Amino acid sequence: MPPSLQRPRPHIQFTDLFLIQLSNFRWSWRGQVVTGMLAPVLATAALGAFAGRDQQSLTYVLCGSIVLSLMFQNQNNVAANFGYMKAMGTLDFFATLPVYRSLVVLATVLAFFVLSIPSLVVTALVGTMILGVPLSISPLALLVVPLCVLPMAGIGALIGITVRSPAEAGTVSMLITLLLLFMGPVVLPPDRLPDWMIGVSHVSPTSYAASAIRQVVIGPVTGQVWLDVAVLALVTVVTLWGVGHKLPWHQK
Amino acid sequence: MTVAYRVENLVKRYPRQDVLAVDGMSFEIAEGEIFGLLGDNGAGKTTLVRQLVGLLRPTSGRIELFGRDVVEYTGFVSTMIGYMPQSTAALNRLTVGEAVYFSAHLRGMSRGDARRERDELLELWRIAEIRDKVSTNLSGGQSRLLQLAVATAGRAPVLILDEPTNDLDPVNKKHVWEVLRGFNQGRGTTIVLVTHDAVEAEKAIQRVGIVQRGRFTALGTPARLKAEIAQKLKVHLAFPPDDPPELPYGVVPQERSAGTWLLMLDRDEAGELLGKLDLRKITDIRMTSTTLEDLYLHYAS
Repeated sequence: MPPSLQRPRPHIQFTDLFLIQLSNFRWSWRGQVVTGMLAPVLATAALGAFAGRDQQSLTYVLCGSIVLSLMFQNQNNVAANFGYMKAMGTLDFFATLPVYRSLVVLATVLAFFVLSIPSLVVTALVGTMILGVPLSISPLALLVVPLCVLPMAGIGALIGITVRSPAEAGTVSMLITLLLLFMGPVVLPPDRLPDWMIGVSHVSPTSYAASAIRQVVIGPVTGQVWLDVAVLALVTVVTLWGVGHKLPWHQK
Repeated sequence: MTVAYRVENLVKRYPRQDVLAVDGMSFEIAEGEIFGLLGDNGAGKTTLVRQLVGLLRPTSGRIELFGRDVVEYTGFVSTMIGYMPQSTAALNRLTVGEAVYFSAHLRGMSRGDARRERDELLELWRIAEIRDKVSTNLSGGQSRLLQLAVATAGRAPVLILDEPTNDLDPVNKKHVWEVLRGFNQGRGTTIVLVTHDAVEAEKAIQRVGIVQRGRFTALGTPARLKAEIAQKLKVHLAFPPDDPPELPYGVVPQERSAGTWLLMLDRDEAGELLGKLDLRKITDIRMTSTTLEDLYLHYAS
């Protein structure tokens, strides 16, 4: 038997896969500018105008816009990317390389998180300038921000690998974005929402993400943040496990 | 002889389809062999190849690569093969140079070796001039050459290539067969390939399987298969349409177009024909023996 190839160590696999996925900036930067920066900034300006001078409403508008930028841009891009990789044979190609499928998922999700950081910074800074809400950033933001991205990226990946085409991935992802964004106190304070919507929001990861973002970006940080972190971590684990499980790798 | 692939009673049925995509195939591919799969579209070639690389699980039957079950040892398979899918878009967001480098590095080469491999393969596959181009901006032929470079990066001992010469011009097609023959002779690479390019493939393929409706209708060396069909010579004659040549008694031409005949001759008839023809009235004459393409057409029909 001829000598086999050497399977690279996991950290080498991850680095290469991460860099490969970072090359997606070549197509995704337009989306990042339009839906990751412009849309949240315009939403901030429009909703801020309705909120008037009510500080609590302004806080919800700012943090809701950050969540919009941070979570849904990622979800849409990851959904589009997995849909594309499935349609174009990229996942098949990876499956024939000596790499772990879990690292393909992780590298993809984290690469899109890194690609979304400029959107996050622009949305936070411009939103603060427009609304005049003072920022008080907690060190816990380093934990909370990735945990806001990962569950939605996981949902995006699940959408991408289960739908039939990249175009369908975009449509389904947008629908889920709208549902999750407006079904809970994300951009609007809870006292402006009907009771049934507050009830529904308890099962939406977006509500916990918005709560955590409000605490670590505006303050004060309370014990609630740990519940938010726990829920987001749980959703992350479940969705990424689902992606790893459903990823077309060695199909039946 | 070491067996690279051993396939036993392989069956693949897709969900909600009555017809089997692969219908009980059994065969072996030797280490260091170039094995070609010919067949119509939808005959089951790509399904077979995807099972060989472990991308599709068989409905029943067994595939072994160097004695290990492909379904059970998927990790082992990925350390033995370089796969080129039919689609040319696998790493489309990378530049040409990046795609080849990462493929070599992910197949276990060190960074330095992967860089050297990249430079060597870009030259070998004649794509060095487009190394900084993003893959989405390539022509069909350039994409195909890139996919070949990506599949061969890292020097896997087995190459599985699904239609490696599609989209290529005749010069590049010839080059691809030469390079593949070089890998086979120089490194002992086992090559399994699907192709429709029967004429050119004949120069490289050592054994061929002709696939029809998920089964082999013929399997063997081109020479043996040729011996099984009639020992005829093909003669193409072109002449002024209003002045057809005289043929030996008993030779019946098949008219291909005005002023063009195809003659199927026994070997002893060929000399008689040449003696009888008035070559001043003939604008073109070509005589060939049975080709791989004839074999394909014969067994496919």
